Amino acid sequence: MTTAPTEAAPASPEDGPGAGLPLTAAQSGMWYAQALDPLSPAQNTAECLEIAGPLDPEVFAAALRHVTAETDALRVRVSDTPDGPRQHLLTEVAPPLSVHDLRGAADPDADAEAWMRADLAEPCDLAAGPPFRHALFRTGDERWLWYQRIHHLVMDGYGYSLLVRRTAEVYSALARGEEPGPRAFGSLAALVAQDEEYRASEAYAADADHWRTAFADRPEAPRLAGRGALPSRTFLRTTAHLSPEATERLRELATTLRATWPDVLIAAQALYTSRACDRADVVLGLPMMGRLGSVALRVPGMVMNVLPLRLSVTPGATFAQLVRQVVLGIREARRHQRYRYEDIRRDLGLLGEARGLVGPLVNVMPFDYGAEFAGAPARARNLSAGPVDDLTVNIYDRADGRGLRIDHDGNPALYDGAALARHQERFLTLLERLATTDPQQPLAGHTIATPDEHALVIDEFNDTTHEVPPTTLIGPIESRAARTPDATALVFGTTALTYRQLNARANRLARHLQERGAGPGKLVAVSVPRSVELVVALLAVLKSGAAYLPLDPDYPAQRLTYMLRDAAPVCALTDHAGRLPSDAGTPLIALDTLDVSGYLPVNPARALTPSHPAYVIYTSGSTGRPKGVVVSHRAIDNRLRWMQHAYPLDGRDRVLQKTPSSFDVSVWEFFWPLREGAALVVAEPGVHKDPVRLARLITERSVTTCHFVPSMLQVFLASPRAAGCGALRQVFASGEALPRETATLFARTLPGAALHNLYGPTEAAVDVSYHACAADGDGPVPIGRPVWNTRLYVLDAARQPCPPGVPGELFLAGRQLADGYLNRPELTAERFVDDPFGAPGDRMYRTGDLARWTAEGEVEYLGRTDHQVKLRGQRIELGEIEAALTARTGVDGACALVREDGAGEQRLIGYVTGTADPAAVRAELTSALPEHMVPAAVVVLDAFPLTPNGKLDRAALPAPVFGGSGAARRPANAREATVTRLFAEVLGVADAGPDDAFFDLGGTSLLAVRLVTRIREECGTELTIGSLFEAPTPAALAARLATAAPAAGDALDVVLPLRTVGDRPPLFAFHPAGGLSWCYAGLSARLGPDQPLYGIQARGLLDDGPLPPDLETQAAGYVRQLREVRPHGPYRLLGWSVGGILAHTVAVLLQEAGEEVELLALLDAFPAEQWRERPAPEEGDALTAVLRMAGFDRTDERDREDVLTTLRKAGSPLAGLSDHTLSRIVDIVPHHARMMRAHRHRRFEGDVLFFTAAAPRPEDWLTREAWRPHVSGRIVNHDLDCTHPQLMRETQLDAIAAVLAPRLTGPAG
Amino acid sequence: MALTLETLRADIADALGEDPADIPVDENLLDYGLDSVRIMALLERWRRDHGIDASFADLAEAPAVEAWAPLLGVG
Repeated sequence: MTTAPTEAAPASPEDGPGAGLPLTAAQSGMWYAQALDPLSPAQNTAECLEIAGPLDPEVFAAALRHVTAETDALRVRVSDTPDGPRQHLLTEVAPPLSVHDLRGAADPDADAEAWMRADLAEPCDLAAGPPFRHALFRTGDERWLWYQRIHHLVMDGYGYSLLVRRTAEVYSALARGEEPGPRAFGSLAALVAQDEEYRASEAYAADADHWRTAFADRPEAPRLAGRGALPSRTFLRTTAHLSPEATERLRELATTLRATWPDVLIAAQALYTSRACDRADVVLGLPMMGRLGSVALRVPGMVMNVLPLRLSVTPGATFAQLVRQVVLGIREARRHQRYRYEDIRRDLGLLGEARGLVGPLVNVMPFDYGAEFAGAPARARNLSAGPVDDLTVNIYDRADGRGLRIDHDGNPALYDGAALARHQERFLTLLERLATTDPQQPLAGHTIATPDEHALVIDEFNDTTHEVPPTTLIGPIESRAARTPDATALVFGTTALTYRQLNARANRLARHLQERGAGPGKLVAVSVPRSVELVVALLAVLKSGAAYLPLDPDYPAQRLTYMLRDAAPVCALTDHAGRLPSDAGTPLIALDTLDVSGYLPVNPARALTPSHPAYVIYTSGSTGRPKGVVVSHRAIDNRLRWMQHAYPLDGRDRVLQKTPSSFDVSVWEFFWPLREGAALVVAEPGVHKDPVRLARLITERSVTTCHFVPSMLQVFLASPRAAGCGALRQVFASGEALPRETATLFARTLPGAALHNLYGPTEAAVDVSYHACAADGDGPVPIGRPVWNTRLYVLDAARQPCPPGVPGELFLAGRQLADGYLNRPELTAERFVDDPFGAPGDRMYRTGDLARWTAEGEVEYLGRTDHQVKLRGQRIELGEIEAALTARTGVDGACALVREDGAGEQRLIGYVTGTADPAAVRAELTSALPEHMVPAAVVVLDAFPLTPNGKLDRAALPAPVFGGSGAARRPANAREATVTRLFAEVLGVADAGPDDAFFDLGGTSLLAVRLVTRIREECGTELTIGSLFEAPTPAALAARLATAAPAAGDALDVVLPLRTVGDRPPLFAFHPAGGLSWCYAGLSARLGPDQPLYGIQARGLLDDGPLPPDLETQAAGYVRQLREVRPHGPYRLLGWSVGGILAHTVAVLLQEAGEEVELLALLDAFPAEQWRERPAPEEGDALTAVLRMAGFDRTDERDREDVLTTLRKAGSPLAGLSDHTLSRIVDIVPHHARMMRAHRHRRFEGDVLFFTAAAPRPEDWLTREAWRPHVSGRIVNHDLDCTHPQLMRETQLDAIAAVLAPRLTGPAG
Repeated sequence: MALTLETLRADIADALGEDPADIPVDENLLDYGLDSVRIMALLERWRRDHGIDASFADLAEAPAVEAWAPLLGVG
């Protein structure tokens, strides 16, 4: 193997005027993207051409020189100037070319590929060298690979085609010994002129209007990964080919539909995206060459644009109609194609929110180059098409007989290789299907699942068939009573009943009920507070053969009357007279005055079958009327048999009954233990809302099994008594989404107990799926797998199955489905529909819940498809509340929603228009609705905010004002106005106000550099980055400029205030080895506006004062500084690296002084003895440390000056430090290393929160376990997938803040 | 078999899914849905059927019937 690179000659002097050319708008977008991450190679584009035939490398090099001389775009250098970036045209540039003869290699293609990949990974410095390079690989006697890499700022895909064709033409001429034809390319200046002309034209303004109007409602971009992300430095690619037959059929289909095959592929991607994202409104991105009708057709350069194509994809429409929409949509878009995508986003205010407008990009390259090198044909293969924000589908029509080549390029922050391959496989399967399906058929006939995925989600994941005997809910209870008559069945307060006693009491009452008309198929209402009598009453109703109807005694009379009239029970059991309204016509039986001693205590006879109803439970109804769900014995019997199988109870178990009987969770609480010989521990009324009394009850009664709604579980776990519930061995959570934090807290608090997440609506016998929470699980807690004889379907809008990972609506089928809604056949038919995947006659229930399958066959809950909400576990139809609001006098219109304006605090809010007094409306609702359905506030509006298409804009409803809030204001003076404008400009936000904080608006340290530079330019005032930390709003910064206070030192003081406002105890973050705490700035926005944050920095950064003699002295100094900010505890401390050692030492000192330290968080910090035997670093390592602080690994920087150069080049904020300060840092780093090694830790009393940078590291001997002797409590660890220096990067800060946030709630103690 | 103005308009109309009568002579065909794929298809058709010798860039630079006619030898 030989390598013979041609010498890249130094660039010749610039030609033309020294100022150079401005960038076109298209180039500017690329320039800013590159400036944001100067070391990113993402903007490298590249192609590889396989040339089959003899090739003369000398002639080839000559051809490249010729074409480079003809191509302005390849001869530019781009530099940043005070007037913005400029491109300078050089007259002569020697094309960098290396030639490699790989004929001797074992696998020449692999070697060539590796070389190309390595080159592609090199960032390109546009100011320093040519923006392109070539390589030629000889892989056979007559086979060559030509590699061409060009920065996207100077070239687009069409430009490549011009270059390749011209190179082939010139080579062929030279090879024949002829002069090549005259230059055919237009000039770069022409492109720039055309761009400037457009931007000054009326068309520009008209185009802006067009796009602003078309996307005025700012639709959410459809994301196949379910979320967006910043572009990464690389992309993932999977490649496949559509079969030649399918390709041909698609071409024919296109012709039939009077469209082109790219139109058909775009329509197919729209269909795929619509289903994969579960939405009808789809915006795709279309890269457009942007050259038709323009001189740019003959200019190799960067012109392409991405246009948003908005499509409406509904199951009822046909594919032909969708293709038509695409054709017309592109036609419309093309009329406004010169307007830049970045500008559209800016106009819509999406830049500031870092929001995209389009989902997947469909990049169709319909032409082959058809280039020949002196008769040798060349086949092109794209290697990189530029940065990938989300997902780009590149489609190439290469005339090689292999059909369409399809590359799926994905952002690795969003997709792994497997996910990308799945999207591709499904897309290809869909294309094959579309090619063979009548385009006039509705889209509903198409699924995006592959046949394998279909079988997986419909059959394999639902393989739950299990034989169960044909029993009822009550039968097994009676047989249990016969088998263990003397076992304890029920405990309530000081009362305890055996199975025999309980059975006898229930039998007597049941016989009485039978006399009153109760029996199979009949209903008996029960309105009794939690007590022995309640259990007896429920058993008695079931024993009589009737179904029970629980009525919550706390419900308003109006609602109780409605339910009694609607359900028409044969009678109603109450604890005493007057409990239920008497105007419903229901015969009432008061238990306190009823004498049933004359009845036989043996089981009554009844003609009960599993098909008879067992209970009827009312739930909130969207039309304003609650609806009764009728559940059969067969359904609930299956549920309890499965539960016993999965979580066996025996005579030693005690099950807590605390759920109100009107919620279906109570059904298993009441009856499961009585079927299995366990004891039922009944909580007194009210106890279920009081965590302290609950914990006491659980402890005193040795409860082993109980249920919690997740929000109540969170409250329970936070109470100090929870950890004392030692007998508890299993806890079931259901009723609302179970947060992972709650599950984790559970595992910590009750390590001996298992937590099971269950899911199910009342319409399917309590629960239909289950998941055991692992103590160390992460990510959302799944609702799990289906229970016995139950099938879960996640279906898209066309009721086709969603593959794993794709969101859709959850449908339930199987034995547990309810019979339907009492007396509501139409509603029943609407929600209980035919099951297309089951046997004929099977039904499925439409839950209205959004969900998706995991690859492992568990379901994750994602939210609701409608306006039903869950508030603290209780199901509420907003429609019912709206109907109740509208029914008040003086209310014209109403709407209700659950808001989360504060930190996690959910509130139900009602909005009304009309003349009503909101307080009065709210008061009236309390007599019509149960407590949990009454809005926390009612807000009167003049009119409801509407979206552009006339629908209620729920997002625009104002937050209710519970306290004072500062209104937005205009800048107070010219300087404030200037600074505000610069904020908006640098941050790319349209509506920055004088009181908005920089880091809240998405500011990063890089943008901070830019802002400070801009302020220096516009205001002529020197500012440091540190001023921005101290005065983060335009108003504060302007005030600082006005007083012309010397700002230089502020950011180097010992206390660096990162956020001074907020009413929680502040968090103090201690500096790492370099002494600066700027790295914690990113935490400030992530922890929210209520959390003050102060950095603690090393002394001596500003002056030459002595450095502290030891760590103990240093920490004692910090304690004094801390107390100036916050005189007394509780304190919250955090530190990264050496900062962790300091934080621990400060924490110990504070505790020794009698203060409370409520949080000590160590970020990849290791105690002194881990380092003691290792050599301390000297200056060389100190430079490494400085680079690490800025997030770089050291490469070839030799001395301080080299380090400074690197920092400046990368735009690091550290580069703005004075030489003096940097020199001090270089001293401080080894000083810390020495102090740290000599330090002796004392013991911190309490738990430590630890974050480990879990990527492999050279210092593999470091372990957090070394903290054990210095910490009395637990070390709660979180692994982060990064190296030690990467810990302060955005994604890791996100993760760290997510862990910290729940521990920082609560006001000042 | 020279290309006539009538055939030219008929072919363009066919590619765009429009009526030949609706194809203007003096307007930008991009507004009627002409795109690069359609230009390429037309060019190939005319090369095949009429032996036309024009490049993609020639046609794409000025997409209007009146600009194309001289390039395509239409009298």
